[in-house]
Amino acid sequence: MSVKYIPVQWNRNKWLYDAVMLAGVALFLYIFLHVTPDVLGHAQPINPQVHNARAFGACAFVMLTVILCIGPLARLDERFLPLLYNRRHFGVMTVFVAITHASYIVDWYFAFSMSNKYEALLFANTSFGQLSGFPFEVFGIFSLVVLIILAATSHDFWMKFLSPPVWKRIHYLIYPAYLSVVAHVSLGILQDQQHSAFTLLFIGGAASVGVLHLLAALKERKREHAVAAVATEGWVDVAERDAFEDGFAKIRLLPNGERVAIYLQDGLFSAISNACAHQNGPLGEGKVIDCLVTCPWHGFQYDVRNGRSPAPFTEMVPTYNLRMAGNMVQVDPVANPPGTPVPPLPATQQEAMT
Amino acid sequence: MSDKHPPFFVGYLPVPAGLRGWLLVACALFVAGLAALGMAMGTSQDDPGPGAFRFDYGRQTVTGVIELTPYPLVRVTKGNDRILPGTTLMLSGQGKSNVDARAIPLEGQLAQVSGIVLQRGTLNMLQLRGGRNGISGVEGAAPAQETKALGRWQLAGEICDGKCLAGAMRPGTGIAHKACANLCLIGGVPPVFVSTQPVDGSEFLLVTGPDGEELPKTLYDYVGNFVSIEGEVERRGDLLVFRADPETAGKVE
Repeated sequence: MSVKYIPVQWNRNKWLYDAVMLAGVALFLYIFLHVTPDVLGHAQPINPQVHNARAFGACAFVMLTVILCIGPLARLDERFLPLLYNRRHFGVMTVFVAITHASYIVDWYFAFSMSNKYEALLFANTSFGQLSGFPFEVFGIFSLVVLIILAATSHDFWMKFLSPPVWKRIHYLIYPAYLSVVAHVSLGILQDQQHSAFTLLFIGGAASVGVLHLLAALKERKREHAVAAVATEGWVDVAERDAFEDGFAKIRLLPNGERVAIYLQDGLFSAISNACAHQNGPLGEGKVIDCLVTCPWHGFQYDVRNGRSPAPFTEMVPTYNLRMAGNMVQVDPVANPPGTPVPPLPATQQEAMT
Repeated sequence: MSDKHPPFFVGYLPVPAGLRGWLLVACALFVAGLAALGMAMGTSQDDPGPGAFRFDYGRQTVTGVIELTPYPLVRVTKGNDRILPGTTLMLSGQGKSNVDARAIPLEGQLAQVSGIVLQRGTLNMLQLRGGRNGISGVEGAAPAQETKALGRWQLAGEICDGKCLAGAMRPGTGIAHKACANLCLIGGVPPVFVSTQPVDGSEFLLVTGPDGEELPKTLYDYVGNFVSIEGEVERRGDLLVFRADPETAGKVE
């Protein structure tokens, strides 16, 4: 959380995250670039420019695959949530690796002619009417442009400027970009590949992204059924009071499709939107820390009684009214405007007296 | 902390004790995994073949008769230890350029050519030096050069540019190289057909249009693909020329 925009709000965990990420990428590139040529032992080696382009291209694909696996892994197992925390740094680094790949290709395959190399990239192969021999470079160009846009708008300033829903929609372009990378590789290098190891690794990587997203979606659907609420005279049943645990929330899916997080804190019930104002993180899967609901994705915090971030922060989420019907906690499905204070509902008569 | 709630990570707070071991293992696996992938992907690259610039030969200068197919060739009449008389050299300029402007005026004449050899098996190309240092007419009558017709053939293989194939780029063939090959062909670099079966002892054939013109543009769509084409084959010294008929071209699945 930040009240002013600076390039990076560094903390120890971010330094560690980036160090591990850099170590992995550096090791991948070092081994690909400097160890494998001796192992390959070709009589005439692959051109260094082509070898470099392949190293950076393969690395960008692996990085993108890892990035896209983190999301569903975190949905499937909460222990992966720390990997989500600083993922955007990993994404920005991927862009630089991908740009390096593109530079080697353009400066080698599309150089040395009378034409401008960037124009040559567009006109050298125009066999758009066929699958084998299709100008697969266009898929790479599309992916690279998308990755650059995503990296350039990755800072929280852009999220605030564009609004979280717009920002989120733009950043969903990562999926078409990844599909485009898959097409780029499938219609390019994979068409020539005789050695099966790369093909298997590529298919395995792309399949992992697909399968993990499918599993996460299935789990999400199951969870949706579990939190689907029943409305009674306009109010929605949440759970019996004894089902709550202090410091944690129950999430309910309201008839209008919104999700609400109902927290028990110090014997008092309060309800706020389940969607964090930062990146729509699931506030109901968070925890109360220092009397503030803390988002599990990036640690944004809110006072559960009014949906406001503590001063000097300005983020706000909608609040909801609650009532007791016997032992049942019920929520009014009509949200209050973001930041509206709502008196907490005592969990017991004793709480109500104090 | 109850058992049903795993340790809660907040980015700007110290990592909970219950998560440290898990994260340490995850980090180690990530780094080791990337290292292993670098090795596995790097070592799964195919052999690019034996073509190469023969810088180890040094600059080569030989004399021969200039022929146009229409791509310029030199039928070597006075060679050296590296390039023997009877050798046929395809010619190219620097990069993806041709030497038509310098070679066409010398068609049928004796000329001295000088440059760097590119070689792949029986395929020889000379990348000429600039200007008259690369090619110039020499005194003397050009001896007649034999061209032997080998009949009509149906060949299966790949169309690529002769320079990258000969070793300017490794690899210099295939789909991933198609745009580069097209760019070379647009620049007038001689195209070569790589046949899956040797024709009269050679798997490489300079490929032209059916009437001895430049490679028809319709065949550019086939560059880099595995194709089957029919056409007349002729021998010029140690180089075969394939007059490919685009009407008969088709991809081989």
